[in-house]
Amino acid sequence: MNSIRHKIRKVFVTTAVVLACGVVRAESPATAISTVDQRIVKIFGSGGLKGLYGYSSGFLVSAEGHIVTVWSHVLDEKTVKVILHDGRRFDAVVVGAEPALDLAVLKIDGDEFPHFQLDDSVAAVPGTRVWAFSNMFKVAAGDEPVSVMHGVIAARTNLTARRGVFETPYSGPVYVIDAITNNPGSGGGVVTTRTGELVAMIGKELRNAQSNTWINYAIPIGEIRTAVGEIITGKFTPKTTRPSDDGQPAKPRNYSAFDFGLVLVPDVIVRTPAFVDSLLDDSAAAQAGIKPNDLVLFVNDELIQSCRAFDEALGKLEAGDRLKLVLRRGNGLITVELPVPKKKP
Amino acid sequence: MRSWIITGLLALILPCGMTLSSLLAQQPSQDLEALEEEAVKQAVALVAPSVVRIETVGGLDRVGQVLTGTAPTTGVVVSADGYVISSAFNFASKPASILVTLADGRRFPAEQVAMDQSKMLTLLKVAGDNLSLTPAQAAPDDGIKVGQWAIALGRTYNSPQPSVSLGIVSAVKRIWGKALQTDAKISPVNYGGPLIDIEGRVLGVLVPLSPQATGQVAGVEWYDSGIGFAIPLADVYAALPRLKLGKDLFPGLMGITVKGRDIYEGQPTIDRVRYGSPAYDAKLKDGDQIVEIDGRKIARHAQILHALGNKYAGDKIVVKVKRGTEELSRDLTLVDKLVPYESAYLGVLPNREAVSAPAVLGVTVRYVFADSPAKQAGIERGDVIVRCQGRDATTSSALLDQISRQRPGDKVKLTVRRGTASREIEVALASIPDTIADDLRAVAVPPGAAPAADKAGPKLGRFEEDMPAHEHKFWAYVPEDYNADHRYSLLVWIHPGRDTMEADITKHWKPLCDEKGIILLAPKAKQPLGWNVDESEFVKDAVELMLEKYAIDKSRVVLHSMTTGGPFAYQLAFKHRDLFHGVNMVQTPLTAPPPDNEPEHRVQFLLYSFANDAQHKATSATATGLRGLKFPVTFRVIEDGATEYPSNYADEMSRWLDTLDRI
Repeated sequence: MNSIRHKIRKVFVTTAVVLACGVVRAESPATAISTVDQRIVKIFGSGGLKGLYGYSSGFLVSAEGHIVTVWSHVLDEKTVKVILHDGRRFDAVVVGAEPALDLAVLKIDGDEFPHFQLDDSVAAVPGTRVWAFSNMFKVAAGDEPVSVMHGVIAARTNLTARRGVFETPYSGPVYVIDAITNNPGSGGGVVTTRTGELVAMIGKELRNAQSNTWINYAIPIGEIRTAVGEIITGKFTPKTTRPSDDGQPAKPRNYSAFDFGLVLVPDVIVRTPAFVDSLLDDSAAAQAGIKPNDLVLFVNDELIQSCRAFDEALGKLEAGDRLKLVLRRGNGLITVELPVPKKKP
Repeated sequence: MRSWIITGLLALILPCGMTLSSLLAQQPSQDLEALEEEAVKQAVALVAPSVVRIETVGGLDRVGQVLTGTAPTTGVVVSADGYVISSAFNFASKPASILVTLADGRRFPAEQVAMDQSKMLTLLKVAGDNLSLTPAQAAPDDGIKVGQWAIALGRTYNSPQPSVSLGIVSAVKRIWGKALQTDAKISPVNYGGPLIDIEGRVLGVLVPLSPQATGQVAGVEWYDSGIGFAIPLADVYAALPRLKLGKDLFPGLMGITVKGRDIYEGQPTIDRVRYGSPAYDAKLKDGDQIVEIDGRKIARHAQILHALGNKYAGDKIVVKVKRGTEELSRDLTLVDKLVPYESAYLGVLPNREAVSAPAVLGVTVRYVFADSPAKQAGIERGDVIVRCQGRDATTSSALLDQISRQRPGDKVKLTVRRGTASREIEVALASIPDTIADDLRAVAVPPGAAPAADKAGPKLGRFEEDMPAHEHKFWAYVPEDYNADHRYSLLVWIHPGRDTMEADITKHWKPLCDEKGIILLAPKAKQPLGWNVDESEFVKDAVELMLEKYAIDKSRVVLHSMTTGGPFAYQLAFKHRDLFHGVNMVQTPLTAPPPDNEPEHRVQFLLYSFANDAQHKATSATATGLRGLKFPVTFRVIEDGATEYPSNYADEMSRWLDTLDRI
């Protein structure tokens, strides 16, 4: 009963908005699709080199023609072409970008464009049925609306729960969708509920380096709402600079196993498990009861799959941190905490 | 109440252009969809306590050509005291240590207990006392209907709830009765997780499977494609007591092959009974018609596969066969491994008849190998073998078939004609030797007639062609004096990565092609770096194109490769066994275990190894391994310190190629 009442209220509120702005805010699947379609644009920019495609998707977020899309090589030129659902063509300029969010905002000239209200976006949970709108593979020509897919939200998770898993600057929460939504040209499309409520912006094509599979993800609107607002109002300063192509930041090497009195087995293969080979006498590790043949499984709750990963994890420690190790000994798990010593320069 | 809402809505929306009918039509279905969505979420919540996260430490970074993941994977709890079933895919990398995180966040080490090698499942045991886990509830096997909702769950993302993919049951009893099929998105993200129904019962455990291939990583190429498989949980529970004993389960084999290529046509008749197999022990014979297995009527070969698909080694079956008018019932205990098949060998090469030559009864001997059973029995060049074991030797392939049904050491009766005289001899057959005859002379190919001026013949000489369907190119060499009335050998050169070696190969092989009637085909990898697994279809199509355009003896189609081209060439050889009958490799060890030697598809090997190369040991082991499986193998070690293409062995290679039709 409660939910029905909630729905009634929503319908009335929506209808009031509808009447006020003269645009139909949909409540049924059929009309929701045509309503959303009017707010999605096709973007054509630079590309073609090295087999890169030169198109993507975007969505209107203001009556004056602000368009949100993903930051990509498609926007490398000063102006890009934007084509609306009805075939109207515009030159767009990039008014701002936040590479840390993989976000860019474009502007086309005009007024009274149909658009999404970012403040009206909703959250979804695993199992929520959704639609994905994008110009994947630029199937939609000229004046045709973009392609719509259906699926459910598979998960809400963090894109870089672990370092090095995904090669993307964005590291916040995402929705994973159980449909193949992330294709060439899909980036900047939208995920909505069955009733057309905005949920998320479709991300780029992305490979999960851990499972060697492609992942279909979308960035929740809540994560980009503030940045979009600031870019539009001109108050925005980017929080990061985009890393250059060869700019893998050097991995810190602050500490090594030796600093704690640990000697691991020789690192001979790609995934040598981090077994303790021996301990230095009177070292912190020896005093804490670590024994030869213990297997290091976690460093500060990060799973350690190899000697190499153990080195990297220790390398990131700072003086004054605590080092929490979870070790496997026989069939049991042991937790040990060691202080991180101050290092002499 | 409700009608009031609708009326209220109408009043407000109608001016905006909505019609009454569209609104009424959508309202009820919309509620149904919302209810369904709610039901899905509740089913997920119901099963979630039985879905665990599995993490591994250590292990290989690739299995065969597939990179294995290090990502977390999923498992399903099948007992309160800590047994968890998962997909064998997740352990293909042979991890050193396994960690299981329960739905409530508790974390335990776990050990692999056993693997089901038939359905590619692995049973784990979580270490710990008083675990009181929640075992998954299985949906009844016979109640699963195509079209019903199927929800795939995984626990690999950093999120308290399992990940969800929604689909339907696409088929039941797939892959010879082993698996359910679903169109939910199945990938390493949820392999090992449950496929559940909308009531929160587990239909099956998600695994990658392939109808064509076996192995832990087979079927992974179909991830997220809408084709996914799950092993029914009811079947898992049935096999659980055996898995708990810690012994791997294997597909059950009975050791027969069936006549005919079409598995859907005709009462299945036994073609061969493998020596030492359960069928052999039960005294089944070639020619027996299989009419029943375990009470199931059998009318087609495919039904045998269905009847055996769910059986493990050690299972007992009752087979009913018809022998003439007699009906026999035999008890068999299936096994996991058959005694390797080894062909017997007589020691002759049959004459190469012209394509247009009229068929005559008997096989004329072109060459008798030194020290062979044929030599010892006094068979000479020009003799005609007309009967073998009381059957007419109508053609060389018929004679080969009869000899290949014997084992080395068996005695056969032959009728041999010399001039007008015929005699009966008894020959004790041997194994195919590993030497290459050095006095074998090539059959001279008479030059072909030039094609008529108004008709373009097939391309001759060196040429390059596109394979339009594949975006690939190949180059080929056909002797300029090609004679369509003569059957040629086909040498398929699989170049190593980064180097097509076209100049080298052309230089050394062109004279041999001209002299010995060999056509050279050299497909080119799409990426200069090397071959990709999925390029095998292109090579197969290119070979078939050549077979179609030129007169080629199918028993002399050979793959030739070197170093980094080798793994791909081995894969081609074992994937298309009806196409390639010889494999000539230079310095290439096998990277994956080879399949068994099969009587129907004879593949002979010629392997070269550079004595002072790092790969020498592995290449030697490859030769030993293939010999252990009773493949005919000739293994040569090149001691002169060279590591380049062994051009001074090209003549020897061509002689070996010329003996592939040996009987």
